[in-house]
Order: sequence, then structure tokens, then C-alpha cells
Amino acid sequence: MTVPATPPRQAPGLVSASVRVFELSLGEMLWSRRTIFMGLVVGLPVVLALVVRLFDLAGSTGVRVNNMAVDGPAVFGLIIWAFFLRFSIPVLGVFYGTSLIADEVEDKTITYLFSRPISRQAVLFGKYLAYMACTVLVVLPSIVLVWLLVIPMGGSLGGNFIDLVKDLAIVAIGLAVYGAVFAFIGAKFKRPLLIGLVFVFGWEQVVLALPGYMKQFSVAYYLQGLVPHAMPNDSFASMVQAIFRETPALGTSLVTMGLIEVVFLYFAARIVANREYVLEQ
Amino acid sequence: MNKRTRYFVVGSVAIVTVGLCTGLVAFYNGGLTLMSSAQGPSELAYLPANATAVAYANVRDVMNSEFRQKLNQAIPTGEGRDEFLKETGIDIERDIDTVVASMSAAEKEAVVLVRGRFNEGQIESLLRQGTGDVEQYQGIRVVTGAPKVHAMLDGTNGQMPRDVANPGDQSMSVAFLETGLLAIGQTSAVKRAIDSKVSGQNVTTNGELMKYVNDIRSGQSAWAVGRLEAMKQQADIPEQVLQHMPAVQWVALTTHINGGVTGSIRADTLDDAAAENLRDVIRGGLAMGRLVSGQDQKFKLLLDSLQMSGTGKTVALTFSVSPEMIDVLAGLAQLSDMQPKPATTPKVQ
Repeated sequence: MTVPATPPRQAPGLVSASVRVFELSLGEMLWSRRTIFMGLVVGLPVVLALVVRLFDLAGSTGVRVNNMAVDGPAVFGLIIWAFFLRFSIPVLGVFYGTSLIADEVEDKTITYLFSRPISRQAVLFGKYLAYMACTVLVVLPSIVLVWLLVIPMGGSLGGNFIDLVKDLAIVAIGLAVYGAVFAFIGAKFKRPLLIGLVFVFGWEQVVLALPGYMKQFSVAYYLQGLVPHAMPNDSFASMVQAIFRETPALGTSLVTMGLIEVVFLYFAARIVANREYVLEQ
Repeated sequence: MNKRTRYFVVGSVAIVTVGLCTGLVAFYNGGLTLMSSAQGPSELAYLPANATAVAYANVRDVMNSEFRQKLNQAIPTGEGRDEFLKETGIDIERDIDTVVASMSAAEKEAVVLVRGRFNEGQIESLLRQGTGDVEQYQGIRVVTGAPKVHAMLDGTNGQMPRDVANPGDQSMSVAFLETGLLAIGQTSAVKRAIDSKVSGQNVTTNGELMKYVNDIRSGQSAWAVGRLEAMKQQADIPEQVLQHMPAVQWVALTTHINGGVTGSIRADTLDDAAAENLRDVIRGGLAMGRLVSGQDQKFKLLLDSLQMSGTGKTVALTFSVSPEMIDVLAGLAQLSDMQPKPATTPKVQ
């Protein structure tokens, strides 16, 4: 009597493999020291918002910027613009995006991942999804808490609800696009963290201040096109940028950012798939 | 995914969901009753639903503010208050807590609701001097003063003063709506206010207007919201002029007075292009102001406090006068008063 041959197990597809890698990486990424640092950073505006609200409830004169009282919605807009969009999002993108593959290489665990019967691109996509989940799950609640604390000072929750939804979407889009760009940088270059920081705090700041077409080679230019709040003159650089500011249309920003994400993720996946990782002994 | 990760994910999602649901409820209800008083001051129930503009002032806050004390030191006034006290028996500084007013462009009338502490007998007797009358309307006592034309003719031997072009026939009334709440205005307007309360068809049912009211009223000493578009349509403005007026639909003003004064003017336009044009006009105005201010420090200080903001169809201009700025302005004013004026030499012919 012959025993029917069991069909050979097929390797999981790209999507299911990515999901498996995502599940594996989410826990590792969420409870790493990097996330604790991120939590402290995005927790700072929550603490500040709580302090400001307590002072407001105690009957103080409220927040003053340049000796001018500002209400809750303006404070919230300032926090979103100055803290989250100009600082937190790019920094999180740099620290997490550049380390998606680099951490595995550094820990010498990448060979174990690549020896699994899953495509190398799935490893990258799974880790990228874990990065998105990790950052979104930490940053978005922080924004919502700041909103609940700050808006009632001179504003109304109902009147600013649409702005909250827009801000949450903008932050998520910013995290996605910056993550894709720095995932590429992390896969391609030897010192991705340094290059990422130079890109965020050097290149983007300079090209946004200069007139002409150079600003189109930055992510922040398209992210500005999505911002519903008027950009405050918070520094000399902002003032210079404001002079040359040409905000792209909403549609242009969305399409371009979508393209940036797809293109950079594609090239990052290609690099990861074709590169020979030589681990240092 | 282990248990700790699962709890973290659930917790984060819960925070975001609760925040979004809270915002959604507030958005659809026009505000959250837990966070602020429901639907604005109770006087809104007396304002007609078709009101074109609504205004509110917390007179008590304004009178007790440090800003007013400083302003009184800089610009002492008292004649207006004494005149009002003599005519109505109401001391603005002590007896009035809040004032709510509405204007209806369609009926071309306005009503003012005053809350405070009043000597109703004294007010009634002052109003009834001459040919005033008292009636009960919907269970509320309404005291009507003499119609303006009769008041003007009284004591003039039946001759209309030459400088009065159109005296009108409207009489002014005061209604004692509740204890401590008066309605003042043209008789028809006062009666319409009473009808609004009785029928429930009042300004709180005007969703569009209340959306603006709830957006701006929280924590403000005074605010006003008006539908400029309706006012333009009802006013007798020539078509050629109307075409060139800015496409502003709604205007909202807010002021918060504590130590200093902060305020904002917000305009909602027809479209983004109109808003951008309005912003350009304001920017130009501010630049022109800075140009012509020259060495005038007072003007310069005030201009520097103006900040423009707003996106999309909204244009907002905020201003702030701090207590220190008032001191500086008062000091500058005194300084300019003390400076010797150049002597004018008479012309020799």
C-alpha cells in the first residue's frame, strides 16, 4: 500500500510573511530602549499641556507668546507644528527607520532572519510595518491627550475636532514617509544615522529657506502642504522660510508623498534583497 | 504578540478612540456640556432664531478687571455712567452682570437683555414719566415708553424740530423677563424676544449661528457673531458698492479682559481665494500702518501686538494689550502732553 506523498510546504507569500515578521518585530521594537526614549520625548508635551491646563484652571493669565496671550487651539497648533512635525516625526523616522535592518546586522541576527523561507523583502516590509505600528501607537495617543487638555482653554472641542483628525492623519503620513526614506538610507549606507540627521537638520532646513525648486527635494516641503494651522514665526529660520514659502497644493502633497513612500520602500526592499551582508567578526 | 504588547496596543487604541469619540460628540452637539456651559448663556433662549447678529458681554468681569482700573486712571470717565443712572436708575458699575444683544437685519430691530440687580419699581416709574404705558404680554410685564415722535413733539408746541429728518414711530420698551433680567428695545423686538422664549424657536435652534457662538464664547469677556452676508443683503447698499465689498460671510469678535486685553476678529469668507485676498489686504494694511507710524511709539506698540492667522476660508486677526503696555501707553501719552508745544509767532503784516 503506497502512502500518498505529502505536498511540499510552500513558502508563505509576501504579505503573510511580512505579517509574521511584523508580529515578531513589534514586541522587540516596542520594548526596546529606543521606544522608552521616544515615550519620554512625546510624553513631554503631555506633561507641559497638563501643567498649562492646571495653571489655567487655577486662574492664571494663560499662555503668552511674545507677550501675547494665545488660546488653546493656537497652543495646540504650535505644539503640532513646532514639536511634532518639525522635530519628533523626523527624529523618530531617523532613529527607527535607519535601524530597521541595521539593528539586525549589528546584533548579528540577520542571518537567522534570512535563513527563514521568506523573501528578504518581506523582512523589510514586516519591520517597516512594526515601525509604523510602534510609532503610531505612541505618538497619536500623545497628540490626543494634548488636544483634550489644551483645546478647552479658550476653544471648543467640537470646533477643533476636524483639525485634530487632520493633524493625526498628517502625523501618520509624516511617520510613514520619513520611515520609508530612512529605511532606504539604512539599507543603503554605512552610517545611516549620521546621514539621516544631516538630512533632517541640515538639508531640509537649508532647502526650505532657499528660493527655487530645491525645496521639492525634501519631505518637509510636502508635509507643510498638509498642515491646517498657519505656521508661526517661531524662529529666524521659520521667518526666512516663511518669506520663501510656496506651499504646494494638497493634492500635489499627497500624491508626491505617496510616491516618495512607494519608491523609497521599493528601492530599500531591492537593496535588502540583493545585498550581501557580511557580518563583522 | 505577547500579553504585554497586546495590552499596550489595546491601551493606545483606546486612548485614541476615546479622544476621537469625545471630539465627534462635541462636533455634532456643537460643544460638550461637561466642559463648558450648555449652549451658551440662558439669555439666548430669548433671542429670535432669525437673529443676524448676537453679542455678549460680561460687564461684571470688565468692570472688575485690572485693565479697566488702569484705563480709568489714564482716561477718567463718569459723565456717561451718571447720565445712564439718572435716566434708568441702573448703575453700570454695580448693577449689571451681563449683557446679551441681538440684531435682526430682516426686521431691522434689536433687543438687549441685561442681567443684574435692578429696582424694577424705579425703572418702571422713570419710563412711565410722560405718556408711557404698562401691559402684560404672555404673562410678562412690559413697560412701553412714549413713541419717539411724541416724545420729540412734547414740549415743542407740536412743532417737529428742524434737525430731525425721520423721527419714526417706534416706541421703546422694557420687559421684566425674570428676576434680575430685563429686555430693552423697540416694543416689537421685546415682544419677539418673549415669543422666542415661549415658543422655543430661538437662536439656540439656529445651528449655523450657534456653531460660531460655541466656537468662540468659551472663557471670553465679550464676544459677538454676525452674519455679514445677511446684513449686506438687508441693508440699503447700492448694487455697485455691494459687488466690491469683500466676500465675507461670517464675522466673529472675541475679547478677554483680565489684566490686559486680548481679542480676535475672525472672518469666514466664501472661498479660499477670497480669504487669501483678505489676508493680503490685512498684511498690506499692517505694513502701511508700520510705514506711517514713524516714530509714534504708541501706534507701533499696538501694531506689533496684531497677529494674523487662519487657514482655508478663515482669516483671523488677534491683538493683545498687556497691562504693561497700558502703563507704557499712558506714560507716552503723559509725556507727549508734557512736551512744550512750539510757540506760534503771529504773522506780521
